[in-house]
Amino acid sequence: MSLFRLACSNFKRSIREYASLIISLAFSVFIFFNFQNVVYSDSMDVLKNMKKSYIDMIVQAASVVFGVFLFFFIWYATNIFLNQRKKEIGIYTFMGLDNTKIGRLYALEALFISIFSVVSGLLTGIGFSKLFQMLLFKLSDIQADIQFSVSLRPIFITAVLFLSIFGLMIWKGYRTIVKSSVLQLLSGARQKEMKHEAAALTAVKVCVGIGVLAAGYVCALSTGRLSSLNYGVAAVVLVIAGTYLLFGGAIPWFIRRLTKNKRFLYQKERNLWVNNLAYRIRQNYRTYAMVTILMICSVTVLGTAIALRQRYEKMIHFQETYTFQVLAQKDDVDEGQISAGIEKDNKIRYKNHLSYLGLNAEMFHTRFENTVYGLVSYSQIKQAAEDAGLKFDYAEPAKDEAIELTHIILMSLVDENEEEYMHIGEDTYKITARDSTAYLGDLQNSMGAYIVNDDVYETYKPFGQEMYLYNYKIEDSESAGASVPFVKSLRELQPESIVGCNMVLPENAEDTWIKILYSLCIFMFVTFLLASGSIIFIKLNNDAYEDRERYGILKKMGISAYSLGRAVKQEIRFTYYCPFVLMTVTSWFAIKALGNVMKEELFLVNIYSAAAILAVFTLIYMISVKVFKKKVLD
Amino acid sequence: MKKILEIKDLIKSFGRKGYESRVLRGISMDIYEKDFIAIMGPSGAGKSTLLNLLSTLDKPTGGQIVLDGEDVTKAGNKRLSLIRRDKIGFIFQDYNLLDNMTLQDNIALPLSLNGEKSQVVLEKVRHMSRLFQLEAHLNKYPYQLSGGQKQRGASARALITEPKIIFADEPTGALDSRSSRELLSSLRTANDSGQATILMVTHDAYTASYAKQVYFLADGLIQCRLNKKGDRKQFYEEILELLVSMGGVGE
Repeated sequence: MSLFRLACSNFKRSIREYASLIISLAFSVFIFFNFQNVVYSDSMDVLKNMKKSYIDMIVQAASVVFGVFLFFFIWYATNIFLNQRKKEIGIYTFMGLDNTKIGRLYALEALFISIFSVVSGLLTGIGFSKLFQMLLFKLSDIQADIQFSVSLRPIFITAVLFLSIFGLMIWKGYRTIVKSSVLQLLSGARQKEMKHEAAALTAVKVCVGIGVLAAGYVCALSTGRLSSLNYGVAAVVLVIAGTYLLFGGAIPWFIRRLTKNKRFLYQKERNLWVNNLAYRIRQNYRTYAMVTILMICSVTVLGTAIALRQRYEKMIHFQETYTFQVLAQKDDVDEGQISAGIEKDNKIRYKNHLSYLGLNAEMFHTRFENTVYGLVSYSQIKQAAEDAGLKFDYAEPAKDEAIELTHIILMSLVDENEEEYMHIGEDTYKITARDSTAYLGDLQNSMGAYIVNDDVYETYKPFGQEMYLYNYKIEDSESAGASVPFVKSLRELQPESIVGCNMVLPENAEDTWIKILYSLCIFMFVTFLLASGSIIFIKLNNDAYEDRERYGILKKMGISAYSLGRAVKQEIRFTYYCPFVLMTVTSWFAIKALGNVMKEELFLVNIYSAAAILAVFTLIYMISVKVFKKKVLD
Repeated sequence: MKKILEIKDLIKSFGRKGYESRVLRGISMDIYEKDFIAIMGPSGAGKSTLLNLLSTLDKPTGGQIVLDGEDVTKAGNKRLSLIRRDKIGFIFQDYNLLDNMTLQDNIALPLSLNGEKSQVVLEKVRHMSRLFQLEAHLNKYPYQLSGGQKQRGASARALITEPKIIFADEPTGALDSRSSRELLSSLRTANDSGQATILMVTHDAYTASYAKQVYFLADGLIQCRLNKKGDRKQFYEEILELLVSMGGVGE
């Protein structure tokens, strides 16, 4: 049988044995191809007026993150196949194959698997590209018609990226096989399993692992301001290192302690599965650590997406407090005319008006040089809030106090203003509260404002320019466009008073990129989650082959299939749920840090994503148990 | 003495109808409590086949096996599993210790799986380790033990559940002479103290000489039986003489 035919036969076997891993690889190809298709395909031209350049940038950034994940995932997959070859070295050696030929055999088989994954991923990607885009738009609440269109560029980029990474890993594996001695390959893995670790080394690993992880959690909690962004970077590094050390040190140590407690161990199937765990975790700790980190990444990705969306929705809500705002320099505006004009085409839900005192910039001593600052009087704001149905629970500030009105932005790397006092000229006012309710509407986005005591407001009138704001919220914002021509004409109708108008029409399509980002993050979350599950599934599959002999002995000894089945279940349960538990704890800190940076409460994100992962893992766990039992007990 | 195992006209054939090969042609024997029986025979005599049938790992083509008053040839798989767990102990040629647990945990395994209290398990393990001189090795893993120590550990594991009968398949097959002696002495001590009824398959006359009775199997039938009258050395010589007269074990 030629090498090629042997590789073909091994490849066919590999598809059956590693189906879940190959499916995950193909799914990754599918997702990456569709990411690229968003950028290069004509069918996405519908997004032209939605700042497509932003969308492309977001997609490419997501593709880079995805690419890094792919690098490690493909590395893992090729290692699986490589280790399988190492175990079969003995058979091939007796067949007369030398290391070079065995290396070529491995390379051929891995190449077949890579081509199969890429081709099947691309074909399904092309076939379902329209569905993917429809799903993307649906998740992003975008209404648009999509045409089926695929260009060569995304196919080429996807194929080149995947095959390059695969090629690199295959070459690496080939070199490993060729350069190792047959004896090394045959016995190396077994030696690692049996080697006992020095107690001192274990103690160091346990202490350092727990310490590093705890330090990572502390750094995560300290993240939140620009000045502490370094904490965020440190948290990522420490958590990754700590997770790795925990699975390599503290957890194996703990399980070994359990095996030494015979009163605990000699209870039903514990003797069997706890010993098996203690034995297995030495081989598998890197896999568990990788899966845990992958799951934490998936939760963080989802958290980022949801945080952005929440901020975006708050931003839109802020902007849309008033549909029309009319700015006047005199207090003699014919408000009735404005209302009547708007009401010709739209019903007004609420309206209010107030005055805003813009002061000379030199009078304010603030961090920001180019921002316009002004004052509003307490009673006016209170009345305006009441008219608009906005919450306003503040008592009138004292003569040396002020309430700062802020606004909502999508994301800022600038630390929020936390100064206790503000200064106007020689006077100092204590900031008693900060509020981001849009009392002044969309205009609050572009100017700073302080609510002051009515008397204080009167005091500063001579020093600034008083402007009069007339705000209108219409019932149906979809039909706001009908009133636009009238609102635009107001300057001509009352030229002496009205200086300008602000219109906030239905959600600006230019910000659609935020929603696209949200949808892409959902896809990445799903991909990372599937990859995590399939990695553990494949690992267990491999372990099942090694355990067959062990379970055969136990059956011969008369141990019932029921007892063995229970032992299998307990062991596999730990394998799935230990990484899950650690992920849940760590992701709490990760989401907390993200929430601090994004100024969003993301606790529910943590709950929902953990629940989603738990559901998927439980399903994969149940399939794993069934497959494992079939392999070792039948 | 109570009868532990009764074998009546046991037949085992392999192959499809018309192309059958009859390995056992009608074996009958009785095994009583505290017996120590060796079965010898040339290759292909049917020794391992007989052991597999008696230990319920295989089903006979004909005949009956009554273990502790129960006909095991009629029992279902679940019942057989229980019988193997509660009434039978196994000692294999290749020890079959689990390499991922210590010797102590290996010995304790059948008892802990049976749901015995951990304190009882610990006491019994201690007792067995004294019987087989393994106290100093309990915390070692199989790869750290010699062949003899492993086989003694496997024997301790087989005996810990106090089975009605122990089946040993070439227990000294992989051992050197000294380890063989140590193992066989331990088995004999266990048998003499009333803790074990043993049925052992072997092709080695020296090993067989530790038993109280030797059955000679050839061509699927028991050819003859030798009972121990004097000491072990004398019994060994008798076995050798009989083998010579039969034309040797391997021929």
